[in-house]
Amino acid sequence: MMFGSADALVQLSIKSRDPYVAAAVHELATGITKLELEALICGTRRTALAIARWEHTPASVLTALAGVHDEAIELRLDKNPGTSSSVLSGLYEEARSKDKAGLTKLIAQHLNSGTEVLRRIALHANDSECLLALSKNPAANAKVLAELSERASGSDIAVAIHKNIAQNASASAELLTRIFDASEVYTQAAILGHANCPAWLIAKAAASEEVLMMRVLARNRRVSKESLQRYAACEDAGVRAGVAANALTPVALFRHLIKDKCELVRREVASRIDLSEEHIEALSRDDDIWVRQRIARSPTTSLDVLYRLAVDAVADVRRAVARNSMSTVHLLNMLAEDTSAWVRSGVAYQVNASQRILMKLADDKDVDVLSGVANNPNTPQSILKALVGSSDTDVRRGVILNKSATRNTLLPLLEDPYYLHRVLLVHNPHLQAQDKWSLRDDPDFQVRFSVYRWAANICLKMPDTFLVTK
Amino acid sequence: MKILVAVKQTAALEEDFEIRDDGLDVDEDFMMYDLNEWDDFSLEEAMKIKESSDTEVEVVVVSVGPDRVDESLRKCLAKGADRAVRVWDDAAEGSDAIVVGRILTEVIKKEAPDMVFAGVQSSDQAYASTGISVASYLNWPHAAVVADLQYKPGDNKAVIRRELEGGMLQEVEINCPAVLTIQLGINKPRYASLRGIKQAATKPIEEVSLADIGLSANDVGAAQSMSRVRRMYIPEKGRATMIEGTISEQAAKIIQIINEFKGA
Repeated sequence: MMFGSADALVQLSIKSRDPYVAAAVHELATGITKLELEALICGTRRTALAIARWEHTPASVLTALAGVHDEAIELRLDKNPGTSSSVLSGLYEEARSKDKAGLTKLIAQHLNSGTEVLRRIALHANDSECLLALSKNPAANAKVLAELSERASGSDIAVAIHKNIAQNASASAELLTRIFDASEVYTQAAILGHANCPAWLIAKAAASEEVLMMRVLARNRRVSKESLQRYAACEDAGVRAGVAANALTPVALFRHLIKDKCELVRREVASRIDLSEEHIEALSRDDDIWVRQRIARSPTTSLDVLYRLAVDAVADVRRAVARNSMSTVHLLNMLAEDTSAWVRSGVAYQVNASQRILMKLADDKDVDVLSGVANNPNTPQSILKALVGSSDTDVRRGVILNKSATRNTLLPLLEDPYYLHRVLLVHNPHLQAQDKWSLRDDPDFQVRFSVYRWAANICLKMPDTFLVTK
Repeated sequence: MKILVAVKQTAALEEDFEIRDDGLDVDEDFMMYDLNEWDDFSLEEAMKIKESSDTEVEVVVVSVGPDRVDESLRKCLAKGADRAVRVWDDAAEGSDAIVVGRILTEVIKKEAPDMVFAGVQSSDQAYASTGISVASYLNWPHAAVVADLQYKPGDNKAVIRRELEGGMLQEVEINCPAVLTIQLGINKPRYASLRGIKQAATKPIEEVSLADIGLSANDVGAAQSMSRVRRMYIPEKGRATMIEGTISEQAAKIIQIINEFKGA
């Protein structure tokens, strides 16, 4: 029997006396019922601490816990990624009034902290740890970072603050420019790699012979082709690897890069999808395993090359062929007979694998192969049903994650011994509401929470349409 | 044939915790209780023997502790243990591992098992002495840090492999009955089935008093222990350093540290 409304669900939750179930439906409740749920959540300090710390606790519950005024709970709220901006604002006032720099630091680095709180920290916090934490926080906007930079200028921590700002996604072009001239080479390199770095600064820095700057610029798509040509001839392998990775690198440069003395450079070239057949052919014969592995995985590699790499001496290269989306059924059939289970497993996960291949692999004894078969959407239901009985957790999880697994296949897994599998099933679109609701009294609190949270979300989305069913 | 598995409910700590006012332990509010990790492996080893045996094997789990320990014992029952026994008296509070070993010994004498398994150590106190003290009180052969066991019910000898330093194993033949302390990784502990959990919820846990096993309050507790906790505290932070700076700078510093370490 299922609940019929948000009120009924809340009443059931209160009746359960389960603090995690209470937390799951808290958002639905109002008035006295909300207080009853909160009494369950805060029933013991131990429970309240655990729920305040738990990363799945809904924001409304964290807001309620902020009203308990327990420093140990507040510490957990400051750390919990789900704590809302308004709660963090209140916690900041409390931390500031009690001069708790440790708590202020947590708020300074929290991604949900509001602009006003962060601005006040930038302007008023005296603890260097708080200011450093703030300088790393991408939630701090350009204005806050500019104010922080200005306040920090001339202080002992200015260098460290500016290093962090140079890597903060919110830093504006203006601020980055201002920091650039006064900074040492590491910070300058970071600024050149920043998405907001002005084009004129990149153009100006392109003439630099400083290796760190060249490494960053060689990867930058805003660098001129002339600069890339110069970097391609640089003594430093890191710079040449940057050129090899840059999407704008002229094809003419590949001729040299595919023969580069450093394998790091050749690996970057091998990862590209704009290589000619000639380049691919050359790289497919490279001595470096990773270079061949990347060519074997590339969707632009020809079938002829793939067939050759399918008999490579190294299993990782053969597996890469097995994972290649361009591999044909014939090629996969060949690799399904490979002596290495790791290669056969690659075939088992391959979306192009035919039912015939998967049926053959279903007789394999290796757990990685069977996990792949269980995951593969082409695997026949009869095989998936058999794999549900596997003693291996990974294989059964493969069936749960298989998008083609039907309700009938999945139903026995509602009794799976591993709690996480039952949690996953609560979110599975192929199971019906009554199947999921049957887990409401599960022995594991995380499963119970998931079921009630799922039900609460339905009530929140469709308050009038959720019906009682048997 | 009977195998007795000594188990303990251990406390894991949250990231942030507070020491009790008396300075002797962590405030209980910050502890998360669960079955000792090593004991999961001990129980699994007993279950493997039970399930592969042609003769009937009874697996009995025993623990010394207050009411809350029932939760861990039920976990053992859910995984297939036949019976669970819990010994407690408030006077036992503060008992060290040797006194706990003595309490367990009296239960073992009463149960008369053919083998006794315990975890190598508990994850919270890590004395690694309960199992060995039981062997001493019983005057039975014992082996510690058992990483492999070949034993069939009825055998008067078992062959074990003990884990030693440097990844070495020592193969030992041991007379039975014996006390073995089981190492992590000896097997792959099972998850309790839902049916098992439901059945375990209705199974009784035998509560045993000190008097039931011939002991009194004068035999247990801190006063009878050979060691006592004087204080518990968090030592000053060590030499760990956070590497600050830009990504390039952090990489350069790591290379510098590695080179210094290698003497380059």
